[in-house]
Amino acid sequence: MGILDKLNAIATTRQTLLPEGVDPFNVVIEKIYSSTEGSIAGQKVILAGTNNYLGLTFDQQCIEAAQESLSKEGTGTTGSRMANGTFSGHRDLEQELALFYGCSNAIVFSTGFVTNLGMISALTGPGDVIVLDADSHASIYDACKMSGAEMIRFRHNNMVDLEKKLKRLGPRTAKTLIIVEGIYSMLGDCAPLAEVAALKQKYGAWVMVDEAHSMGVLGDHGRGMAEAAGVEQEVDFIVGTFSKSLGAIGGYCVSNHPELDLVRYVSRSYVFTASPSPSTIASVRQALRVVQSKPQLRTKLWENADRLYQGLEKLGLELGPDPGPIVAIRVATREKALFAWKSLLDQGIYVNLVFPPAAPAGMSLLRCSISAAHTAEQIDYILKVFSEMQDSFSN
Amino acid sequence: MTTTQYHDIFKQVEGLLLRYAPQQVPIQDDTNLINDLGFDSLKVMDMLNEVEDVFDITYPLNDLASLHTVRDFVLQIQKIIENS
Repeated sequence: MGILDKLNAIATTRQTLLPEGVDPFNVVIEKIYSSTEGSIAGQKVILAGTNNYLGLTFDQQCIEAAQESLSKEGTGTTGSRMANGTFSGHRDLEQELALFYGCSNAIVFSTGFVTNLGMISALTGPGDVIVLDADSHASIYDACKMSGAEMIRFRHNNMVDLEKKLKRLGPRTAKTLIIVEGIYSMLGDCAPLAEVAALKQKYGAWVMVDEAHSMGVLGDHGRGMAEAAGVEQEVDFIVGTFSKSLGAIGGYCVSNHPELDLVRYVSRSYVFTASPSPSTIASVRQALRVVQSKPQLRTKLWENADRLYQGLEKLGLELGPDPGPIVAIRVATREKALFAWKSLLDQGIYVNLVFPPAAPAGMSLLRCSISAAHTAEQIDYILKVFSEMQDSFSN
Repeated sequence: MTTTQYHDIFKQVEGLLLRYAPQQVPIQDDTNLINDLGFDSLKVMDMLNEVEDVFDITYPLNDLASLHTVRDFVLQIQKIIENS
């Protein structure tokens, strides 16, 4: 027995993926032509699985901002936020995020994943309780484990179960952090945040919302689910990422609790990892301006999302419960999902293939994510290909 | 917690395990949930939902790290009932 033996099961599973010729979990985008087109396995494809909701990866102003920063500030910071890795741009972005959300405080981290690790493990510890939605992202689960807090899971979006669990905690709710996501990454469904906020108030708990997939997507100003649900004042901490609507990489937390600023000193993923490069920060700052100045991008995104969701629904496919930029198609078996994924790729469409446990409740999914940059013609082509493959999805 | 109470919980857990376990083997105190019954993380979560309903308890995910055998499971449930 050696330390590598545990990987044998992975090797066996991977063998079952390879007969289709492309490992779906190791895809290389050989060329990238735009925010919606690239080349995979030598073939031009429509990118319909990239979380690039507003299509800003190729926004000219974002690119120019990054290029200018690259020339003036160099390729990287080579240090953590706590040491030499905080440039004026990092602080400016924090102020701009705070202003955008109408909050007093903001912190920028290096990725969305380490934002959750850093925030949750800094805010909670032994003696505290975390009550998290069952479908929470892996970064949230890992952060909860790191925190040492008691971890309690409630059934996905089930407010009866959430209340039952809060009620059982009694006075411990004062030291309880509820964690939900604005839009859930796999099925694309939304948290019932108004109800979560009401329960938080009723039981005197705290609440954190991960807006990774909802920032730039929901709310009149693109601030996410808390804005859309009208509960921004009730949410204690909002976390998010720069790697989806903002088209780059990094993460953040905003809050009206002044103690957020102290998290910088205790959050290990803030203290012990290099900060985002200056050019990344510059492109994110510009993307944040675009989110605020071009609400038409959100309108277009939702037009595209509705076009795809309704089109797939008409085909009788089993979809995630809520229309939105993430459209998940349930497929009967892993084998059928793998075959369908490869068939789509062969016909010039890249989507995400998701197997359990990444997909909830033992489902296999073809996960599409739509962008404001997709054209109606691209979406209609996706629908046409799906309609020709209908038999691939059923039992 | 008395032996009788342990036995009562064991009988209820046995019924649940037999319904959820991918591999059907006789349930005994030292039956291992993964190696003998074939549970994976998803199946365990499904079963825990029902355990919570049946016993009207909250099962902390932290306890999963020390859950190996049926005896572990019954004792964990006993402890949660006692503390609730």
